[in-house]
Amino acid sequence: MQSSAVNSSNNKETTRSITFAEAVREALSQEMREDQDVFILGEDIGVYGGAFGVTRGMIEEFGPERVRNTPISEAAITGAAIGSALTGMKPVVELQFSDFITIAMDQLANQAAKLRYMYGGKGNVPMVLRTPSGSGTGAAAQHSQSLEAWVAHVPGLKVVQPSTASDAKGLLKAAIADPNPVIFYEHKLLYKTQEHVPEEAYTIPLGEADVKREGTDVTIVATAVMVHKALEAAEKLAEEGIDVEVIDPRTLVPLDEQTIVDSVKKTGKVIVVHEAVKRGGYGGEIASMIAESEAFDYLDAPIRRLGALPIPVPYNPALEKAMVPQVDDIMQAARDSVHRR
Amino acid sequence: MAKEVFMPKLSSTMETGTLLQWFKQEGDPVEVGEPLLEVMTDKINIEVEAYEEGVLLKRYYDEDEEVPVNGIVGYIGEKDEQVPKERPGTEDKLEPESLPETPAQTAAEQTVETEKEGGVRATPAARKLSRDSGVELSLVQGSGAKGRIHAADVHAAADKENVRSTPLAEKEAQANNVDLSAVKGSGSYGKVMRADVTSLPAEEKLGSEPLQGVRKVVAERMQQSAGEVPHVTLHTEINMEAAMDLRSQLLPVIEKQTGQRLSVTELLMFVGSRALQKHPDVHASITDNRITKQSSVHMGVAVATERGLLVPVIRDTETKGLAELVAETKQTAAAARNGTLPGRDLSGSTFTISNLGMYAVDHFTPIINQPEAAILGVGRMQDKPVVIDGEIKVRLMMAVSLSFDHRIIDGAPAAAFLTDFKQMLEQPYQLFV
Repeated sequence: MQSSAVNSSNNKETTRSITFAEAVREALSQEMREDQDVFILGEDIGVYGGAFGVTRGMIEEFGPERVRNTPISEAAITGAAIGSALTGMKPVVELQFSDFITIAMDQLANQAAKLRYMYGGKGNVPMVLRTPSGSGTGAAAQHSQSLEAWVAHVPGLKVVQPSTASDAKGLLKAAIADPNPVIFYEHKLLYKTQEHVPEEAYTIPLGEADVKREGTDVTIVATAVMVHKALEAAEKLAEEGIDVEVIDPRTLVPLDEQTIVDSVKKTGKVIVVHEAVKRGGYGGEIASMIAESEAFDYLDAPIRRLGALPIPVPYNPALEKAMVPQVDDIMQAARDSVHRR
Repeated sequence: MAKEVFMPKLSSTMETGTLLQWFKQEGDPVEVGEPLLEVMTDKINIEVEAYEEGVLLKRYYDEDEEVPVNGIVGYIGEKDEQVPKERPGTEDKLEPESLPETPAQTAAEQTVETEKEGGVRATPAARKLSRDSGVELSLVQGSGAKGRIHAADVHAAADKENVRSTPLAEKEAQANNVDLSAVKGSGSYGKVMRADVTSLPAEEKLGSEPLQGVRKVVAERMQQSAGEVPHVTLHTEINMEAAMDLRSQLLPVIEKQTGQRLSVTELLMFVGSRALQKHPDVHASITDNRITKQSSVHMGVAVATERGLLVPVIRDTETKGLAELVAETKQTAAAARNGTLPGRDLSGSTFTISNLGMYAVDHFTPIINQPEAAILGVGRMQDKPVVIDGEIKVRLMMAVSLSFDHRIIDGAPAAAFLTDFKQMLEQPYQLFV
């Protein structure tokens, strides 16, 4: 937890440990208590508490006006959020599965992303779209995808992908405060992960990567749940004498290029790992950025990318697991880089 | 299917090549364009590149073995592929002369011409290190996939370049004129200790070296030529006043045109080419008991290089003007000295000029560059007293010696050639006739 805000609070809060889902809820509640303009909307987020229980109990505190259950239309939800954001509200949308962004894509790509530009800066879209992504829950092909590269491609959208509870809290608060539309990905497998999260308010700036583990032999740039797999791989690789540095960009847009470049200059080797399909994935963007940067001259192995196979996410749990990079895959890639294979 | 690796034919006179070293072990992966082996031909040492991709399955010859041209020296193919255990016979091969250029030949020639760092597989970090440290990538053994050079390989090569030795060993080496890089160190990580230097055999301390490479080739060729060819050498002196006048008048013209200075050698090449045209008997060669009269003059010019005597060839000199000759000769000689001359430019000469005029040599008897019929040796120019019309005058004289192969020609035609050559230089206006 590299954020200065987090570090400064360590003295006060050393024992409290909450889940990723609770950290997101805490961020939402704190923002809503702070600012009357912040409200949340989505399917079943009221009494039911949302598909993954993130908004559980919020309707009791803030009432149905600010915790709005919506009809089942992602396009309508997103469109409503954009409209209210233009009037000065700060809506936070919850889409039940990030796969459904496709339904809201016209609203996001053609409206939210461009309005401030097309209005010559006279209108902002200060909205956040929170949505669970990723595989690992047996939710099959239409509920398990990682499509962050689609939105990251659209100029005007910011894209956040936290990997820990404390990052999620600080980043969500920063996303709500941001005057631009932000897509906020929450990996389903992370919801139940637990760690120390400071209770008081703090933000983590968008565009600031975190070095989750320092190392000297090879840099692994990982996002979301892959951060944890990379850290596990790093621990095991340490026993083999390979010292891995793990970097979590935390936000894809804006991307903290310098932290990645500095790390690659240090280690000379880099592996980019994400859960999304490798082909056309955001890892390609990171790899290209490295190759174009001052780190190029320091590269001592080909940049490697690990991503999912180019297939729909299988329902069968064994196949689902086989589709995405696992700890062993990351370890092997690191060995190949370090041992010059 | 496994592909043969042949001993390339690198010159028209090459019949065998000596395998100097292998760059790959059996079982090593090989990429197209990677240096595979080093071959010593009758002219040069050259790296032969692989023209197939795969695994080096077999090596049939050890280092320092002689291999006939187009002999199969190994196989490249897929791992575990079956290839002959024994060295394949070379008798049923096509007659070397009739073979078109093999890819290996082309590849090998390109090695000399174009091997630059761009062709080396290396990571950006290794390249940066190479730039910073001055370690040439082409000399570094890559440890990565398909021989890719990584930073660590460059480090290792740099360490190797800087021989590790103790101060005492260095002192000892300096006192005895010993090359430390040639001494095997017995200390940790191969560090050269004083004892390693003092225990060297006497001859190694004196810096003796085996007869090999170009030196060996020169030795063999000269011995062969001197032993087999009945040499007769004709000596004469040429009054160079008119020729040197012509040279001083042409100097600025040619320098303006080519940026190079017209040398005596080029003047001699020019005149010699025209004289040869008039004396087809002298412009001949002998192979397998057949005398071939040559039409175009391909002039061999003996050049002293660090690696030994090389004779680069300037082609069709009888059709070239002086400026053209100057430009081409200068360029070729420089390439020969730098070792960047392609093999084909070191063979196929039809007559050779060896000029030692820049030294204190009055005259010498040159040894014929086989299979040519004759060679012209040139000594220095000196003011000498000569008798003209009963009076002693001082004239700028140059001694020349023509060695000819008495099997091919007799004394009279050789003397006629030399006489014509002398007259053309003494009365250069004859060149216009």
